[in-house]
Parts: sequence; structure tokens; C-alpha cells
Amino acid sequence: MIKYLVRRALGWLLMIVVATNVTYILAWSFLDPRSNYVGRKPPLSPEQIENLLRPRNLDNTVPLVERWWTWLTGIVLRWDWGVSPTGGSVNEQVAYRMWVSAELVLGATIIMTLLGIWIGVYTASRQYKLGDRIWQGISIITMNINIIVAALAVVILAINFNTWVGTRVFFVTGSSSEGVTGFFPVIVDALQHLILPTIALVVIGYAQYHFLQRTLLLDNISADYVRTARAKGLTKQQAIRRHALRTSLIPVATQVAFSIPGIFTGAILTESIFAWQGMGRYFLTTINGNDVHGVVAVAAFGAVLTAIGALLADIAVVVLDPRVRVS
Amino acid sequence: MSTPTSKTVLSVRDLKVSFASEAGRVDAVRGVSFDLEAGKTLGIVGESGSGKSVTSLAIMGLLDENAKVTGSIQFEGQELLGKSDKQMSMIRGNGMAMVFQDPLTSLTPVFTIGDQLVEALTVHRGLSKSEAWDRSLELLRVVGITNPEKRMKSFPHEFSGGMRQRVVIAIAMANNPRLIICDEPTTALDVTIQAQILDLIEKAQDETGAAVIMITHDMGVVARTADDVMVMYAGKPVEHAPAHELFHNTRMPYSIGLLGAIPRVDKAEKEPLIPIKGNPPLLIDLPDACPFASRCPIAIDACVRREPDLVPIASDSGENHLAACIRADQIDSDGLIGGLPVYPAPELHESSLTRTPREERPVTLEVRNMVKTFPLLKGALFKRKVGEVHAVKGISFDVREGETMAIVGESGSGKTTTLLQIMDFEKQADGDIIIAGTSVNGLHSRKVERTLRRDIQIVFQDPMGALDPRMTVTDIIAEPMQAIGMNKDEIHSRVQELMDLVGLNPAHRDRFPGAFSGGQRQRIGIARALSTNPKIVVLDEPVSALDVSIQAGVINLLDELKVKLGLSYLFVAHDLSVIRHIADRVAVMYLGEFVEYGDVDDVFDNPQHPYTQALLSAIPVPDPDIERTRQRVIFDPETMSTRPATV
Amino acid sequence: MSTEMIDPAVQPPVGPDTTAERVPGKQLSKWTLYTRRFMRNKPAVAGIVIFVLMVIYSIVVPLLTPYKIDDQDFMNLSTGPSSEHWFGTNASGNDNWLQTAVGLQRSLMIAVTVSVGVTALSAIVGTAAAYFRGRVEQITLMVIHFLMVVPTFLILALVSNNAGGDWRVISLAMIFVSWFFPARVIWTLALSLREREYVDAARYMGVPGMRIVLRHLVPNIGSLLVINFTLGIVGAVGTETGLSFIGFGVKAPDVSLGSLIGYGAASVTSAPWLFYFPALALTLLTVSMALVADGLRDALDPTSAAGGRA
Repeated sequence: MIKYLVRRALGWLLMIVVATNVTYILAWSFLDPRSNYVGRKPPLSPEQIENLLRPRNLDNTVPLVERWWTWLTGIVLRWDWGVSPTGGSVNEQVAYRMWVSAELVLGATIIMTLLGIWIGVYTASRQYKLGDRIWQGISIITMNINIIVAALAVVILAINFNTWVGTRVFFVTGSSSEGVTGFFPVIVDALQHLILPTIALVVIGYAQYHFLQRTLLLDNISADYVRTARAKGLTKQQAIRRHALRTSLIPVATQVAFSIPGIFTGAILTESIFAWQGMGRYFLTTINGNDVHGVVAVAAFGAVLTAIGALLADIAVVVLDPRVRVS
Repeated sequence: MSTPTSKTVLSVRDLKVSFASEAGRVDAVRGVSFDLEAGKTLGIVGESGSGKSVTSLAIMGLLDENAKVTGSIQFEGQELLGKSDKQMSMIRGNGMAMVFQDPLTSLTPVFTIGDQLVEALTVHRGLSKSEAWDRSLELLRVVGITNPEKRMKSFPHEFSGGMRQRVVIAIAMANNPRLIICDEPTTALDVTIQAQILDLIEKAQDETGAAVIMITHDMGVVARTADDVMVMYAGKPVEHAPAHELFHNTRMPYSIGLLGAIPRVDKAEKEPLIPIKGNPPLLIDLPDACPFASRCPIAIDACVRREPDLVPIASDSGENHLAACIRADQIDSDGLIGGLPVYPAPELHESSLTRTPREERPVTLEVRNMVKTFPLLKGALFKRKVGEVHAVKGISFDVREGETMAIVGESGSGKTTTLLQIMDFEKQADGDIIIAGTSVNGLHSRKVERTLRRDIQIVFQDPMGALDPRMTVTDIIAEPMQAIGMNKDEIHSRVQELMDLVGLNPAHRDRFPGAFSGGQRQRIGIARALSTNPKIVVLDEPVSALDVSIQAGVINLLDELKVKLGLSYLFVAHDLSVIRHIADRVAVMYLGEFVEYGDVDDVFDNPQHPYTQALLSAIPVPDPDIERTRQRVIFDPETMSTRPATV
Repeated sequence: MSTEMIDPAVQPPVGPDTTAERVPGKQLSKWTLYTRRFMRNKPAVAGIVIFVLMVIYSIVVPLLTPYKIDDQDFMNLSTGPSSEHWFGTNASGNDNWLQTAVGLQRSLMIAVTVSVGVTALSAIVGTAAAYFRGRVEQITLMVIHFLMVVPTFLILALVSNNAGGDWRVISLAMIFVSWFFPARVIWTLALSLREREYVDAARYMGVPGMRIVLRHLVPNIGSLLVINFTLGIVGAVGTETGLSFIGFGVKAPDVSLGSLIGYGAASVTSAPWLFYFPALALTLLTVSMALVADGLRDALDPTSAAGGRA
């Protein structure tokens, strides 16, 4: 079992490496750090620009292969992901942004998965009854609201709520407040900032799990082995809970991995709206600033998140499906 | 057999079940009544759509929520209809148990066998973990599973079909039920395993003294296991009699037709199979008339005026014999009415080719030393070979013009692989495949290959899966002709011709396969195979997915076409009775090799190899007198010999 | 063993060996059946109505309204909804009613183009990979799995930013990054299809491979394709909106719902109508399409239990 997981982890690592390298080349095809200096007053001479860019490994007169090699060795030997065109270290930027985004993305993923599964199970066992129909209606609408609309709507509601209550219960800007110290106050403060963007992401994201789980559970409910379980003497509810549920959870777990890239994209937009200084914001800054190294770091981060999600899904499959352990 | 008690275990009166559907209300069961005593076996026989499975599910209370069930079902004096799911769940698996058809899907894939057995015990009795474990081991031993300690921790997918069915029977027996319902328990299994499972069910009945309901479409199984037989058609029983009476004194035309449509493995002279024309009716808005009237050769006006009741008829043996036919009294025990057979016998086709000795006829297909091994691969990203499976270990045979050659074997014998090798034109390293004189090894161009494909065509097993549901009948039949480049007008007229040939109405050529019945779809498949005028047609279990009465019609059609068009056939099948009827030569395949090969009469009447002997011994014969007194043998793969069957 | 009863909803069996009198009254053709099932689904019908109305809105309004896209009404800068400007105006005095309609039009054009491209491409690749097996399948799957890890939104942002907001380039880029996920789903479905005997039958007849893919596999996933196409529109609108919102997609002077919402987000407290109306249009568009997709799934998928409830 451990061997299986280790093998999978190595596979994902390979994917991350390849994806990052491809992004490096793609970034260079579309971005040009030189253009940052166009139109400067007073104008800089080509040598001056070169003197600025070359030490930063951002000079496109240097052959691409050379630039790539310098960049790659920097990462592998010194874990240095390079500098931006203005000289700022990418490592520094990513270091704190990483945690900000991770807490948003992973937190939202876990909550929406659990919520979706729970609603899916609930509605499957009440197929076509009122509870099922209500949730179907809610989910089909929330699933199709754009994240931007959802986030802004949440902002508007929160501002109105804050005004109505009189104090700042929900924070609509930033991921944390200045000057908060102490273990609990920091956590509470973090939660106050986290809750709104998480709500926005969860509300539009849970429905895909709801529908998936519901469909899978319904398929399994009509399976022959559930009928055998009932023929043994289990009541319908018992048979569903013990036999159908476990089998239906397996495909849902694998789905989680594939939806993380989508959640990350949602986080990019959410971070913009909530002014979080996370990787999402960084994404915009780096593209607009022709910061090749920064763009690659964002891509790597996204790939890592996907890999983490995939591994968690694999662990869940191993736990739920004993057949994997045997083969 | 155990001594029968006079206690009635199950009493069903006027059971009716209906469902809502897109096209209206479907009356799946329209009035079933019977009594069943402890220790006795009731065989319920019928084809698809007869309502037999729905009856059993209604008794167990496992029907869908939108099913309307009326009537009365009394189990040990208690009325079952009207009980809640919770109340029924206390009886299910306890007083009543059920064995289902498909052992592959009947067991939960993610729980061990042990867990599932223990669950069956603990759900009804307050046993401790170790007590339940011990009892489970005991049950596994009773059903004949060796090494039960290890097996308890295995998963269903690690077992073969036969072993899984044994586990299902163990689960059913777990709490000493008084009624065991078996719904086609052996249909999905190989013939030799089938025999063992039927023995096992008998043993279970002996041990528990339970009453058994055996639901099946196989008259041979009925002859072997049933004390009483109930024949169902269109949701109602049309004949109900003790086994001997039913088989030798059949009174209802449908039952007569059913028995006449079955090929016999023990009869050498070739009697033509008697098909029942038409199809079972749709169970929606049935008029008040005999549902069989449209297919019955002796129907009269009175038959369509009112639906006949199931009434006792006078029988010589004095036993209770019920039949739902107003002319039942006019039929005598030889199946004659007014001196003529109820079903007119179709003419037997004799081909002029059979008069020439086979050595002098041209060879249409020759296989020399065919070998096929499959590598066993392991590994997720990069697969590596860890072993080999020898599916076919060097077989050779030939098929002459006008001859039907059959390859018989159970699952894992390699017969399907052989067939696919031939159709794939697989070049053989140390042998050859020669089709109508052209060697496959010598094929080097696509064009030549395509021309060769004209001469050999295939008919598949599953009539639904073999036809693209999105293509019209014309398109389906025309496809091979389009592939070889015939022009449109030729194709058009040929399609009409072919449809006439196989007994389909050419006016329906623009319909889709879904609008046809199973037998008709198979005829479309046959028409398609004949479209390029092949010399040899390969058939992969062409009738095993069809109802018995339809099967006969297709078999007769194949015979007729063979004579008319001078075809040769290569049949691959597991059903020996069909093979006996239709084949001239037969090869018995076991683990990739031919263990016996020769003329069909020689092989069947005088089997040399122990495996063939065991195979023939396992096939149930539709005659209870023969079945009950037979001595069966089992093949032992270790010693490669037979031993008498013990349970 | 033959397990199917003849589907009572389809034509009854026909042929010389059936009695004509037994034919029940209801002869339902496939299309009537589909339409009837669809119409039974009230939300789906509502969805289609809303969608059609919105398409009409986006096409007709720019032709009929007295304002032009870059007309500036200096008397009404950033004013709320009024009788002159039904949806209000923005800071430059452009009429919001018109802007929303044009934005909707642009978003629809991109979304439909992308969905057509993605559906076609994913269908062919997915089914071909399943049919040809071996190397072709392995390589295609590797490519797909790899592309799933690559940050597609990033690539999209890079490309469309570079293109300066040309909607055709954006559409092309979106097709390129969106085709592989549905291709994988189709591949899974095609896996079970390729095991069907009629595929083998065609092969044994000598029909060439690609023809089998196009003639047998693709039509049989037809219902999935229709649903994918509808959902593809929803997804494409969402992606394009996201892109335009952060400034990388459609750029001024071209408008799309995303760029309008981006613009409106900045003034969400001072001029909320600039956010509300485009947001409403967007939500109505996506929800209505989703309801239609749901209705299509119920109508085309014969295993749905909706029939028994009618």
C-alpha cells in the first residue's frame, strides 16, 4: 500500500517538473521583460537595459537554452526561483503568498467536498421527494453562478450585514489584520478574513460533488449486490448505508484531484476581489509585469496543489477500496 | 430426497403485479396461485417476459416502490403483502432466502466473503464475532469450498463464477430457511459447474428441509429438480402439473411447443426443431383473450373471445393437472389433436452435398497448428511481462463445403480466442489459417485482405450488441457490401433479397434494431453475414442469448440457408444439445487443446476422453424419468479422469 | 439469456411472424419521444425560453436602440436606471442597456464558437484513442494527463493578453486549453463502446478504422456530445468572464459581460447598477443553459427514471 502511494507521488512529481519547464518556455514566448522599459523618460539605452536584465537572467538576447539552464540549475542547486525584472526575489514573494493561497484553496476544497457528498447522500435516499427537488434547484443555480458574481454578492451582503450589526464581523479586504497577536486572536482574525472568500468558493463549488455523489449512489442502490444485502435481511436503509455508500464514494474521491485546478482559478479571481496578497494576486502582477520567473513559480504552485489533491484522493481510495490493497 | 411433511410453507393466491411505464401500465404478473409444501420443489418455467422473476421478487418483497402488488402471499401462515420493509427484512434471509442469477454482481465487491457471510448471520441472530466466524467456516465447508479459513478473507473478484455462486448459496442457507427461491441460479455458469450447483441446492434442501422454488427457462433443469412444474406465459400460469405429467402428458399448446423446440443431446436421429412462430405479447392493455392465441396453431374463435382459466383437466394418472386451454381435453398424451400433431413438423432440408463423402468436398477453412499465448502484464506506467497464458496450444482442423463444424468448450477453453484468431487473420508462426484456399500467412496487402474478408463472415452472440442501434436495418446489412465497394443499386436490391431470405419483411428496412425482437435481430445479423456471399460463416454462440422457442426458429433458418446456399459453418458454443442437433463434426476443447474431435454422432454416443464424458454427463435432459435416475460423473483435472458425482 | 422485454415505449416488433392486430396504438418515433420527455421537464423548458429571449435581446437591442456603443451622454454620467437609460449609465456616459446587450452578444459568440470547437475536437480524439488502442491510446492519454497539470488559465491569460483582446484569438486559445478534459470523459465512455460487438463486426467486414470511429463510435455518444456542448457554453462563458474581469480577455473598446462586471466591481457601492445588470445577464445565461442541459440529459438518456413518474 505504501509502495503504491509512493509510486503515485513520484509520478506526480515528474508531472510537476515537466509542467514547470514547459511553462518556462511558454512564458518566454509571450512575455518580454524588455517592454517594461519602453517609453521610460528619460529613455534607457540598450546597454543599460541589458545590464539590468542580464544578471537577472532575463535578457532575451541570451539563447533560450542558456537562460533555461541557468534558471534550472538555480532551482535544483540553490532552490532559487530567480528574480523579477525589478530585482525582487521570487522566493520571498512566494514564501508568504503560498500559505495565504493554500489555506484558501485547500480549506475551500475540503469543505465543498464534504458538503457536496453529504447533500448527495441525503438527496439520493430521498430521490424525487421534496428534499431532493429543493436541493436540486438550489444546486443547479449555485453551480452556474460565476465566481466573480458570487464573490461580489458575498461582499455586498457582508458590508450590509456589518452595517446592520454595527461592527466589523466580516472582513472584505485582505487575509489578515495588522497588529493582531496571541494564538487565539490570530486564529479568530484569520477566520474572519477567511470566511467570506471561502463561502463564495464553496457555494459555487459544492454542487458538482452533490450531483456526482447522488448519481453514483443511485446507480449503486439499484445494483444487484444491494438487492442481495436486502435479501439477507438488511432493511433498505441499512443496505444502502453499508453497501452502496462505500462503493459510490470511490469515484467521487478521484474526482477531487481533477477539480483542484478549477478551484485554484477561482481563487485567483477571489483573491482579486478580496484583495488577498496570495498567489492569485501574484499571478496578475507577474503577467502584467513581464515577470517570467514569477509566472513560472505560480504555475509550479498550481501543479503542486493538484498533486496534493491527487494524493489525498489516492489515500482516500486506498482506505475505501480494499481491492487496491490486495492487487 | 427428504421425507415430505404436510406443512404448507408458502401459499400464493391471485398474485398480480403492475408497473407504470412510458407507454402505459405494464401488467407483469396477472394472477398467480400455488401452494408449496416443505421439502418440495416447485419449478417455474417461462421465457423472458413471462413474469417468473417478478413473481419471485414479489414474494420476497424486493420489488421497486412504484410496483403495485395485489393478492395474497402467505408464508407459514403470515400474510406478507402489506408488511413494511422493516418487517419483511426480519423474514428475508431468515425464514425465506433467495439465490440470484448473476454471481458476479450479487456480491458486494468491496467487502470480503467473510464479512458478507458474517453479516447474514448477525443481522438475524445475536451471535458473537467468533461464533459467527465459526458458523461461516462451517457453511463454506458444507457448500464445498476448500480451505475456508483463507477464503473468508478474500474478495469476490478473486473467485470463479461457480465458487461465488456457492458462497451465495451459503449465505442463503445461513439461517436455516424454510423457503429458498432460486432465480436462474445456473444460467450464467458453465455446464459442469451448473450440475454441481444444482447438486448443492439439492443438498441444501436436504439439510434444511426447506421448500425450493426453482425459476428457470431450461426444461432440463426443471426435469432434474422439480416435483411440480408451473409454466408461465404472459404473466400467468398456463399449465401446472407434477413433473412427470407435464413432460409426458402435456396439454397446453404453449408447453407442447416449448418442449418441441428443445434440441435433445441424447437423440441421434435428427428431428427438426419445432419453432413457435411470433413473439410474446406486450403486457400492456391485454385484451380478454388467450394471450397465446396469435401464435397457437390450433386456435379457434372461442380462444379470442375470453381468456381461458387455469382449470383442472382429466388425466390418467389421477394427479392434479391444471391447464389454461379450452381445447386441452382434445389433446391426447402423444401431443396429437384429432390424429394430427399440434404443431406441424417443418420439412427437413437435405443437401445434395451431404451425399458426397466429405473427403471429396472442397475445403473452405483449414487451420493448422494454431497457437496463441497472451502475456501477463504488471505495472502501472510501464508494463512488464510476468508470465504467459497459453490460450490456444496448437489445434488443427478443417471444414468442408456444406459442413457444419462445431467447437465446444466451457469458459477458459480457448474457443473464443480461436475464433477471434481466425477472424483477425492472425498470422501463425508455426502453422497457418487457410480460408477458401487463400493462406493468411501470405497476406501482405490491405486490398487482398479485404477481398478475402468476403469469403468469411461472422454472426455474433448478442443480438442487441451486434447491431449498431443508430443505424437502420438497410445500413446494417449493406455495410459489408459497402466495405468491398459494391455499387448502390446492387446493394439496394441485394438488401431486399437478403431480408426475404432470412424471413424479415423488406418493408421494415428503414427501422432501427430497437424495434425488433431478439430473434429478428439475430436474423438481421445473419442477413448481414450473408451479404457478401461468403463460403464460410463463423457463428459465436448465435442462439444462446435467445429464448428457447425463438432459438428453434433461428436454428432451422441456419439449416435451411446452409442447404440453399451451400454454406459451411464454424460454430463455437457451449450448448451441447444445440450442437448435437446442428453440427456434422465436433471438437471438444479443454484448456486450449482439442481433447476429442470427430463426427458428431461418434463423439456424443461414444465419448472417449474423460472430459467429454463428464461434459455430456452434466447436461440436464428434459425428461424427468431419465434425469432422476442418471449416474453422473465429474471430471478431475488433476488425474485427467472421471469419478462418480458425489455432493 | 435474453433478458430484455421489448421496450414498450419503442415501436412494437414487426415482421412476417407477428400478428398485425397486436400492435398497440402508441407508435412513438424516437424524436417525438425525446421532445415529449424534454417538455415534461418544466425547468428545462423555462431554460430554453430564457435563453432564446436573451439571444434575441443581444441581437435586437443594438439594432433598435437610439444610442450607439460609444455615445457619451454628458448629462447623465454615472446615473442610475431612468426612463432615458433603462439600465443606467457608466462614468463615461455610455448607456448600460446597450452595453449589456453588446457584452452579452460578444460573450455568446465566444462561448458558442469555443463549445463547438471543443465538442468536435474532444469527440474525435476521445473516440479515436479508445478505438485504436495501443500506442495511439497510450500517447493520447499521456498528453491529456499532462495537459491537465499544466496551468491552463495561465496559458490562456498569457495568450489573450498578448493578442490585445481579439476575440477570435481568445476563442482559439480557449479551445486549445479546454478540449482535453471532455476528451478524457469521452474516452472513458468510448472504452465501453469499443467492446460492443458491432464495432468488432465492422472491423471484420474490413471497414477502415477511422470510418468505424466516425460511423459507429461518435454517433453513439451523441447524447453525451449534445449535453457536453450545452455545458461547454456555460463553461466557456465562465472562463471568458474570468479572463476579461482581470483584464486579460476582451479589452476596451470591445465589451463582454466579464469586462463590464470588472468595470462595475470597482464601483459596486457607488454605482451598483453597473454590476447588477451584467451580473444578472450572466447568471441568467448560465443557469438557463444548465437547465436546458439537465433537460436534455433526462430526455436523451434512456436509463432515466423520469418516465415512470409521468
